Amino acid sequence: MNIQDNYQKNKKNIFFSENNDVKSHREKLIDIFENDKFDKKNNESIKNINLKNFLDFKYRYLAPEETSLISNNNDNNYSIVSVNGQCSSFKDDKIEITKILEEDYNDFSENNTIEKNEHFVNLNSLFLNCGFKIVIKKNNNIKIKISNIVTDDDLTIFQKNNFICEEGSSLNLIEEYENKNNSTSNILNVIKLEKNSQLNHFLIQDNSPSHNLIVTSHSSCKKDSTYTQKVYNFSEGYVRNFHFSELIEINSEVDLQGIFFLKDNNTSNNKTFVKHLAENCKSNQVYKGILNDRSKATYFSNTHVDQVAQKTEGYQLSKGILLSDNASFFSKPELKIYADDVKCSHGSTIGPIDENAIFYLRSRGMSKIAATKILISSFINEELNSISDDQMAEIIQKKLVRYLSKVK
Amino acid sequence: MFLEIKDLSVKIENKNILKSLNLNINKGEVHAIMGPNGSGKSTLANVLAGKEDYEILNGKINFKDNDLFDLNIEERAQEGMFLAFQYPVEIPGVNITPFLHSAINSKRKRMNEDEIDNLSFAKLLKSRASDLGINIDMLKRSVNTGFSGGEKKRYEILQMSILNPDLAILDETDSGLDIDALKIVTDGVNKLKTKNNSFLIITHYQKLLDYIKPDYVHVMVNGSIVKSGGSEIAAEIEKDGFQKFQ
Repeated sequence: MNIQDNYQKNKKNIFFSENNDVKSHREKLIDIFENDKFDKKNNESIKNINLKNFLDFKYRYLAPEETSLISNNNDNNYSIVSVNGQCSSFKDDKIEITKILEEDYNDFSENNTIEKNEHFVNLNSLFLNCGFKIVIKKNNNIKIKISNIVTDDDLTIFQKNNFICEEGSSLNLIEEYENKNNSTSNILNVIKLEKNSQLNHFLIQDNSPSHNLIVTSHSSCKKDSTYTQKVYNFSEGYVRNFHFSELIEINSEVDLQGIFFLKDNNTSNNKTFVKHLAENCKSNQVYKGILNDRSKATYFSNTHVDQVAQKTEGYQLSKGILLSDNASFFSKPELKIYADDVKCSHGSTIGPIDENAIFYLRSRGMSKIAATKILISSFINEELNSISDDQMAEIIQKKLVRYLSKVK
Repeated sequence: MFLEIKDLSVKIENKNILKSLNLNINKGEVHAIMGPNGSGKSTLANVLAGKEDYEILNGKINFKDNDLFDLNIEERAQEGMFLAFQYPVEIPGVNITPFLHSAINSKRKRMNEDEIDNLSFAKLLKSRASDLGINIDMLKRSVNTGFSGGEKKRYEILQMSILNPDLAILDETDSGLDIDALKIVTDGVNKLKTKNNSFLIITHYQKLLDYIKPDYVHVMVNGSIVKSGGSEIAAEIEKDGFQKFQ
């Protein structure tokens, strides 16, 4: 079923359909879908994607019967099980969780720069059917683990979450996506960091081949705040990670890291867009992929330094190891610099595993397969060692061992 | 015969490098191969270690009663062959200690010996590193990463001392070493010499052979051994160069 038919048929079940502003915005989006030629050549965000899966789908959403579990383990640690994109309301003196509200709808969709070319964000705005808002209150330091569960086959989850870190707060957020059913999750995270706040955001993605996962996030950082995103993608299904970041006040930082482990026919699309809009801000990006069989990956990155953003530091790096002649990784880091006092760099290296290193290790008695595995582990060693959370490190290590066990 | 190379011809990318090369090494012997640049010395070392870039056109190599061509790279190492690389490869992220521990245990496994445990290995590594003047902190680093030329060569000898090979091939181990480092490295080699192991030393210069006394010296030119004899050949080369052998 096409986009318009899906929308007309299901709009009663879609969030905020009665709101006139939302309604008129969605009509505009439908126009875009109706008239867009989906020109893959000029719109990089849809390159390497089987659009049919996403534009011609059957809308189906089930509200969960049971509310999500929120537990506070009394030591500033919270666990949330979000079922089909929903989460119960919760409030204490440190955090507040509510359902997504009408007033939050425009937070991201108002940004025309992104919207024009981002069909997945448009789809999310059009079919929004779940989501929640989490506020970390001033000067609190907490950890939240969210397990994102999809309960049934053939569900189309269009979820929008807001994370707000109030002044002086610090949040370690671990999000797990481990879904085995034949469904699609299209998630938009809107993240706001107030003055002197910090958010370390870990995303562990490990879905089965039939589950599509599209995660778009948008962070805005005020004075002295830092947003760190580390994505570990072990999924066997399609995954798209897109992060859009705005450094809007001085001394703010964004640190993006994405590591993906691909095999079979799988595809991983990674895209970033970092806007430096104030002085003395830093952005750093490291994306690394290990690709086996006929897997494909892309990394499109754009760092934009506004003319007022003097003393900017902006770095982009992508690296890929191709374990098979049929695997491919397309990387395109871009810098657009309009200020004159900046330190920026970009680099990309993609190639097969170093045969000289394999020979060296084998000449000491190590088997070819053991040498290959040790070199894959060493390729991401720095990133793995940088995980300060023991629970996270253990989870990633186990998944890495599982991935390596299938490397022949 | 410990190592027997018979009529070996090898090419790479349509270029014949080794041409009907013959060489025999007995247990307990130290052989030196000297030759000008491009004569095929490093190719011989790489072919012995099993590097797969070369095409064997003709010949046979026997090592400890095995047809060497029946063994892959790691099996050769596990059988007791060791190549000290001319240019040791930097491998960031692979820590020296677990790498060497795994290497020694793969050899012991093939020999049906018990694996060496962490504690015993740590003691062995520390003592051998100290013999070679290697700082213990260096053992916490990644393989050859950020090492100076001298440190890399010293680290090759440390690996050799841990793996205790039956046949060690030293491919221009003296290149890039200052006189003090050369002495430490050659002392390390001399300490490892027994009547049960053999050495094949590849070098351009006689200097190395002042510290490691060879039983035989071979001159290699254009892919073949053109003259064999004792230490006097090294002195002859030092005096007159390789010109007269070509």
